[in-house]
Amino acid sequence: MSSANPGLAYEDTPPLSAPLRFFLTAPLFGLVAGLVLLFDGDLLASRWTPGALAVVHLFAAGFMLHVMLGALLQILPVVAGAAFPAPLRIAGVTHVLLGLGAAGLAFGLGSGTPSAIIAGAVLLAAGLGLFLAASLLGLARAAPAQGASRTPRDLRLALGALALTTVLGVVLAVALGRGLALPVALPTLVDLHAVWAWMGWGGLLLAATSWVVVPMFQITPAYPAGFTRFWAPATLVVLVSWSASLVADIGWLKLVLSALLLALASGFALQTIKLQRNSRRSTPDAPFRAFRLSMLALLGSLVALLVSLVSDAPQWPILAGVLVLHGTFAGAISAMLYKIVPFLTWLHLTQARIRAPNMKKLLPDAPVRKQLRLHAAALAALIVAVLLPVTTPLAGLLVAVEFGWLLANLLRAVRAWHQAANA
Amino acid sequence: MASIAELMTHDHRSCDHDFARAETLANRKDWEAATLAFEAFANGLEAHFQAEEEDLFPRFEAVTGMTQGPTQVMRGEHVEMRASLMQLRAALANRDLDEFAGEAETLLIMMQQHNMKEENILYPMCDMRLGGERDALVNTLAIRLAPEHAA
Repeated sequence: MSSANPGLAYEDTPPLSAPLRFFLTAPLFGLVAGLVLLFDGDLLASRWTPGALAVVHLFAAGFMLHVMLGALLQILPVVAGAAFPAPLRIAGVTHVLLGLGAAGLAFGLGSGTPSAIIAGAVLLAAGLGLFLAASLLGLARAAPAQGASRTPRDLRLALGALALTTVLGVVLAVALGRGLALPVALPTLVDLHAVWAWMGWGGLLLAATSWVVVPMFQITPAYPAGFTRFWAPATLVVLVSWSASLVADIGWLKLVLSALLLALASGFALQTIKLQRNSRRSTPDAPFRAFRLSMLALLGSLVALLVSLVSDAPQWPILAGVLVLHGTFAGAISAMLYKIVPFLTWLHLTQARIRAPNMKKLLPDAPVRKQLRLHAAALAALIVAVLLPVTTPLAGLLVAVEFGWLLANLLRAVRAWHQAANA
Repeated sequence: MASIAELMTHDHRSCDHDFARAETLANRKDWEAATLAFEAFANGLEAHFQAEEEDLFPRFEAVTGMTQGPTQVMRGEHVEMRASLMQLRAALANRDLDEFAGEAETLLIMMQQHNMKEENILYPMCDMRLGGERDALVNTLAIRLAPEHAA
């Protein structure tokens, strides 16, 4: 029936364990990132310290990538009508490859072990390659009908940027681990990898998700049609041009295109904040506020990046990294997890014809609110630590507790699901 | 002339606004106003469901021959959302804000997942497959939807 009924049936949604394994593994990487910060006080001295490289990849390849793949397993059928072939098997294999890859890569970068860097990068690339192939197969078989939403198109663009980020990452790993000679300078390749990850993969994905999530769940006006039509393609065009200017090393062009990228990113943040101010929901809940904080952190990171274009002081790129990875992405992702996980447990109970407790019984407000407050405190502590490195261990402790608590809250919803299922 | 997707998507957003108003009033514990707002929301939603179940889905099924396809799934989800409306009505009658807030959150996400599927997949399929009779159907649907939702 699935061919006549692309992705619409609840039956087409994968078994709960497929996305859930990604959602429950993800916070562990944040927890480890916090511990690394706790025990390596000099980590934030520069973006090139081994500890900083490890923490960045624990956040990006660990936390972010895990949640993203879990969410895509769930959402591609709904927004694009694309059902994965053998979702449980794809989930099982990619989850293991991704987990080992992210852990190996972070360990290799942190300890300076070339073989671990290469093995980690290759495992990550293999997991992602498998996942992308399966999702492309699903998208190819999806009904061709297209709604007015730009989300399916922009999700594809984000996946493309992720593929490029991965390729650049593998090349970097081999260059670092085996001394592979590169046609461009190593720092140039690192910048390409980082900016494609940040704006291409992360930025486009956050935008594509926001087109749907912000108006629908926060009951705001829709993003202007012209804005969503052009934002992602324009960002991609500027990214490609910026990359060319970087490789060709044309100073003034790099600066102009970097400024354009910053303008596009701030346009997205400002547009989102404007919509959120017009939400019809009277009492913004904790995830809503966390999402708004994430947009403010995005704006803050852009200011830090702008300053870093003209100042050589090492703390500006670090500050930007903290605001983007922890402030923007970890914040927005935590907010979304708090909506996704209780709903999925509810959905699977309902599908099994069990009378499900409502979502706030599956995961009450109070622990969510407290954990998200801690997230804000951890972000503040990280910002202080960038300026005052001696406080880095405190920030690390807060980050570790933040992610441990996130995991505990998600497990609470899972436990409530088990109880309801076995009642 | 609006497409089926435009008309029905607009009505989804109007239902969302009705929902938000009822939720706002309930949060303020203004129970009487919340009950009125809730019933306006429930009526608008029911009109939307009926327009789909009695006009849009049968035409789609007749033209495509898919009677066990997407429309069947959507009908099933309507049943679940109607059950959720009953829970909300009971919570309002009992002045139980915790129950209402939890049930409202559940209905909202159920409604939005349902809307995403219709807006991204089913309505565009309807617009594509119902070519010739589309304009007449848009008129029929527009009459059946809650009048206060008209643009």
